[in-house]
Amino acid sequence: MGPEDKALVAQTLAGDRASFGTLVERYAGQARRVARAVLGDPDDADDAAQDGFLSALVKLGQYDTRRPFGPWLMRIVANAATDRRRRRNVRRAEPLDTSLVGGGPRPDTMAVRSELNDRLRAALAELPERRRKAVVLFDVEGYSHAEIAGMLGIPEGTVRSEVFHARRRLRTLLADWKEPMR
Amino acid sequence: MNESPSFDHRPDPELGAALRAALEPKDNQAAFVARVMAQYDAALERSSVAMFDVLASWFRPGMVAAAAALVVGFLFGRTVLNNRTESIDAALAPIEGPGLAALVTAQDPPDPSVVFTSLVEPQ
Repeated sequence: MGPEDKALVAQTLAGDRASFGTLVERYAGQARRVARAVLGDPDDADDAAQDGFLSALVKLGQYDTRRPFGPWLMRIVANAATDRRRRRNVRRAEPLDTSLVGGGPRPDTMAVRSELNDRLRAALAELPERRRKAVVLFDVEGYSHAEIAGMLGIPEGTVRSEVFHARRRLRTLLADWKEPMR
Repeated sequence: MNESPSFDHRPDPELGAALRAALEPKDNQAAFVARVMAQYDAALERSSVAMFDVLASWFRPGMVAAAAALVVGFLFGRTVLNNRTESIDAALAPIEGPGLAALVTAQDPPDPSVVFTSLVEPQ
């Protein structure tokens, strides 16, 4: 994946539209999820992810091809999401519903999974932004602590701490919901 | 649910899958890709138009400067070739005589031979 990314980057820099398209296809899912972890709202997240891709295109000449492309791109996407969140500071992308985060009634229906997703998103929204980014980049996208440290511009130990605290909160929620699903 | 130690170095697949499901966009990925590529095309077009505008803005002053350089070069070269000792100021000084008068008072467009005669005549 690495060398191929580098080849695609080189071809994009040479003006090959299709190569840029391949990079977008390859990282679209990841970029949208990371942006959504920051912003909550899916439309806002897509705007931010798009901003991230176009910003990366502009900065592509600065990309160090000795390093993996994914973390470099995700750093730009995460920053784009943060910028968008700051610009829209007046509202939370996804209003926090405390009844969702807390232990509300457990519906014994097929909508349990959907309800769990809602609660997970609400719980994520409750976390500090950096913690949210750290846990999603680590547990969902599979980046290493060192890579996340580079993306977020914080020490590796801080990343571990952020992931730990985020997990503690989210695992409690998840465990709470596993019982009725059995 | 795994009770992982505080600072587990490994991703938690269960939590990761749950979070992924919660964050996964509902719509088709292709629509998003198409949207980004449309922005790519638009940005490319904007940059092309901007470059054309810049070139166009350079064109007119560039032509004027080139014409001026040609005139000055012609006068300077002529002065050097004729081994004249007059200064360039003299070469560029207002030209007097019948050629100039004819050029200024003529009703019809100037005859190039009159213009060049006025320039070539010894001062």
